[in-house]
Amino acid sequence: MRVKKFLAITLASTMLMSVAACGSTDDNKNSASATDENSITIWAWDEAFNIKAAQEAKDIYLETNPDAEINIVTMAQDDIVAKLNTSLSSSSYDGLPNIVLIEDYKSQGYLTSYEDEFAELSDIMNQDDFASYKTAVNQINGKVYGIPFDSGVTATFYRTDLIEQAGYTTEDMKNLTWEKYIEIGKAVKEKTGKDLCTLDPSDIGQIRMMMQSAGAWYTDADGKVSISNNQALKDAIKIYKDMVDSGCVKQISDWDQFVGALNNGEVASVVTGCWIAPSIKMADDQSGKWAVAEFPKMAANEDSVNASSIGGAGWYVLKNVGNTELAKDFLKNTFASNIELMNSLADSITLVSTLNAASEGENYSKANEFFGGQELFSDLAKWTSEVPSVNYGLNTYAIEDLMTEAVQAIVGGADVDSTLTEYQAQIEAAIGA
Amino acid sequence: MKNKVNLKAWIFTIPSLILIVSFVFYPMIQAFITSFYTGVANNLSFGGLANYQRLLTDTTFQKALFNTLLFLVIQVPIMIILALIISSILNNKRLKLRGFFRTAIFLPCITSLVAYSIVFKSLFASDGFVNAMLMNLNIIAEPINWLTNSTCARILIIIAITWRWTGYNMIFYLAGLQSIDDSVYEAAEIDGATGFQKFRYMTVPLLKPIILFTSINSTIGTLQLFDETMNITQGGPANSTITISQYIYNILFKYQPNFGYAAAVSFVIVVLIVVLSFIQLKVGDKND
Amino acid sequence: MTKQAKILNIVQYIVLIILTIISVFPFFWMIVAATNPSVEVTKGTLTFGSYFTENLKTLLSSDLQFINAFKNSLFIAVITTTLAMIVSSAAGYAFEVYKNKTRDKVFNFVLLSMMVPFAALMVPLFRLFSNFNKVPVLENIGLNTNGSVIIIAIATAFLIFFFRQNTRTFPKDLIEAARIDGLGEFEIFARIYMPTMKSTYAAAVVVTFMTSWNNYLWPLIALQSPEKRTLPLILSAMGSSYTPDYGMMMTAVVISTLPTALLFFFMQKQFVAGMTGSVKG
Repeated sequence: MRVKKFLAITLASTMLMSVAACGSTDDNKNSASATDENSITIWAWDEAFNIKAAQEAKDIYLETNPDAEINIVTMAQDDIVAKLNTSLSSSSYDGLPNIVLIEDYKSQGYLTSYEDEFAELSDIMNQDDFASYKTAVNQINGKVYGIPFDSGVTATFYRTDLIEQAGYTTEDMKNLTWEKYIEIGKAVKEKTGKDLCTLDPSDIGQIRMMMQSAGAWYTDADGKVSISNNQALKDAIKIYKDMVDSGCVKQISDWDQFVGALNNGEVASVVTGCWIAPSIKMADDQSGKWAVAEFPKMAANEDSVNASSIGGAGWYVLKNVGNTELAKDFLKNTFASNIELMNSLADSITLVSTLNAASEGENYSKANEFFGGQELFSDLAKWTSEVPSVNYGLNTYAIEDLMTEAVQAIVGGADVDSTLTEYQAQIEAAIGA
Repeated sequence: MKNKVNLKAWIFTIPSLILIVSFVFYPMIQAFITSFYTGVANNLSFGGLANYQRLLTDTTFQKALFNTLLFLVIQVPIMIILALIISSILNNKRLKLRGFFRTAIFLPCITSLVAYSIVFKSLFASDGFVNAMLMNLNIIAEPINWLTNSTCARILIIIAITWRWTGYNMIFYLAGLQSIDDSVYEAAEIDGATGFQKFRYMTVPLLKPIILFTSINSTIGTLQLFDETMNITQGGPANSTITISQYIYNILFKYQPNFGYAAAVSFVIVVLIVVLSFIQLKVGDKND
Repeated sequence: MTKQAKILNIVQYIVLIILTIISVFPFFWMIVAATNPSVEVTKGTLTFGSYFTENLKTLLSSDLQFINAFKNSLFIAVITTTLAMIVSSAAGYAFEVYKNKTRDKVFNFVLLSMMVPFAALMVPLFRLFSNFNKVPVLENIGLNTNGSVIIIAIATAFLIFFFRQNTRTFPKDLIEAARIDGLGEFEIFARIYMPTMKSTYAAAVVVTFMTSWNNYLWPLIALQSPEKRTLPLILSAMGSSYTPDYGMMMTAVVISTLPTALLFFFMQKQFVAGMTGSVKG
């Protein structure tokens, strides 16, 4: 008897508990999945940026479509990637969003991995309306699947006070080259004791930016790994090594130290994407001391221009989740065309839009107090249009993880050509090319 | 009579067995089958042993394997011994503020990863507190690049895991120590045993089953190490602290998702753990 | 006390104080950060600020539904811990007390289950659970239910192993004595074993609660609607920003750390030396 009783109690309590666990919340089970005809869900990361943008877009859309229900969910980018991969590979669409933000470096990978999962958006957007470099990654076989969103246009953000103490002026920062930049850095270090910029040995974003400024990438136009014969890459690595050897860079690790060095006034400049502006502006006490110059070009490389990009993302529609038409209509009226939205976002989240016409918005010609009265947005918008177009291919991150090793070896004194030849082979093996 | 007891014994274990078979063994078999398929995302095709062959030439995998084993060999013994010593000090009834010390030493394992990785990174920055202290004490002349030099980054990871998990292992020992009768220690004290002798000849042998448990558990934890390297060094600089688990994560989510290859890498860990645990069980269970 | 013992005693305290400082520092930093605005946190301040209420307001007014996530986490952790204590301890007890060759083999088999990295099981597990949603009764543990997170954490090789190892120190003559007194096997487990092994249960409760509380990868995959999310998922979403509000984030982190800290503080009262001694005597 006791046997049965014990077993019964254990099983019953297990069942009861799990039923209770679920029963209590069953009623709102479906509120986020897009089962209702008028409801769509959007996934994005960064509460202070992408989410705010989605919310403003939602408000605008609801004015003309009051019946629509738009749910916006904040999630870390890595979490979105993990969930999309698990669900899409299981063809399980419950709980997936209708619209999802995807990083430019990853979009080609998604589009080829899950060919039939994304809705074609050619009919709701015009590629010519957007900065040309953004349209290299949102299409496959001539069909467009993504609405370009933020610009990752790069620039040289620098402290005017420190540069002046070192004996240079804003004039010297025009038509900047990396060589000149390092020269200024050495003077800054000597005169002020501050470093020129930070450098994270685990992150070779700088090399990525330099390559794109010359229209090159780790892969060539056909998607083949291009390391050992890549002149732009070689030039970029040389500059990177020169920077390390110059003794005027501060080695850091990771994002919070990167921003900390800026906010604490430990470095005189940073060359990176325009999305760094809000972080720089966090330090109120440095207001008026910053200015923005063009991205430095590589003097030794003929193709290199004073513009590049790092980061940036676009909006994609998942086809099999349902309510595709509503999702497309939403994007069509907001991110694919709405200049007003872009103008307002410039102010609220310092978004540099990739929609060409956005630069006509009034907020783009506003002088920015923090950056010494500079018309920051109009400059960034201008440089956005000059960014060389590059197809990031499928394996940017896989290649880059190995390339950090190669770069470290070269910085440590290894021969450039033989190292790159060796890594060309390793990378080809790693990505199964 | 004996049969009846035997039946009851199975009843004790059946709920657990059902759950473990359904939620671990079933997916494990599925994963094992997947490990014979190649290709990215859903575009899978049967590739036989291709994924396992690929492991042999994959330099990142070899690096990850080396790092993981290095962490295991150096870190686990240090942590186990440290936890044992701390717990036997904290088990002393005469010790004042016992509850406070125990809670304090337990805190690292519940401190948020985000918080502790930020703190560790700033303490060990080249101009951080640790370097400043070492230089003041004249132990080093030049600041050490803890995070950006590969050997130092590995040491840092070992320090970080030890910091986080020693208090966790301490709990098991503290719980285990309760089954040792106080009178045993008292008798030993009367016989003139020193603190070390009590520790070496009484605490350690009596806690043997628990030590076995924690060492297998820590072995598994270290071989699946992910949080620390992901949050403190991201596997860097230049993959010098990458672990197998982080590599699996990269294959699944950072790169083009390759489920088959990720499964193959996972089964290498499984084999490693099985072998190591088997050795530990053989050595640790000898007396029973 | 001899002079030597006194010195040893002082050394003990010094070591403990140093260990305490090392252990508590990041925790202290976390609390300091919760009282400061974000920019001060990035600058690395170490003094308490007066920004805590501001941070708390930002946190509570954010769309991330922090309170809701806290409730979800608490609910899942409490139910998981309760069920795990019954189910896993029964198994661990049985594997030791009713030791025989077959059960030892089954036990080794169980141990094997803790050796597979979870990342490898994730996709197959997801597929399995997505089928549950279509079946009556089982839909209660299907995707997007608290049940899906609870059910896979009830029986773990880790806990079974822990209980089995601790049962080795449990005096077997107590069982024999109880059998002679006419107690059944289940009564012995519930009335003799469970109360005697209080400190083992206390440790297991702390660890199980903590694991469930911090569980990340599976809830991330299994829970889909935003109102189902648990604390670690919310914290991860907060950290996803290029301009994270560290002040608010650390406020969230401090609040979400409290339950485990309190649980440990109260549970450790069970780690009192000599408790089992009295039973034995």
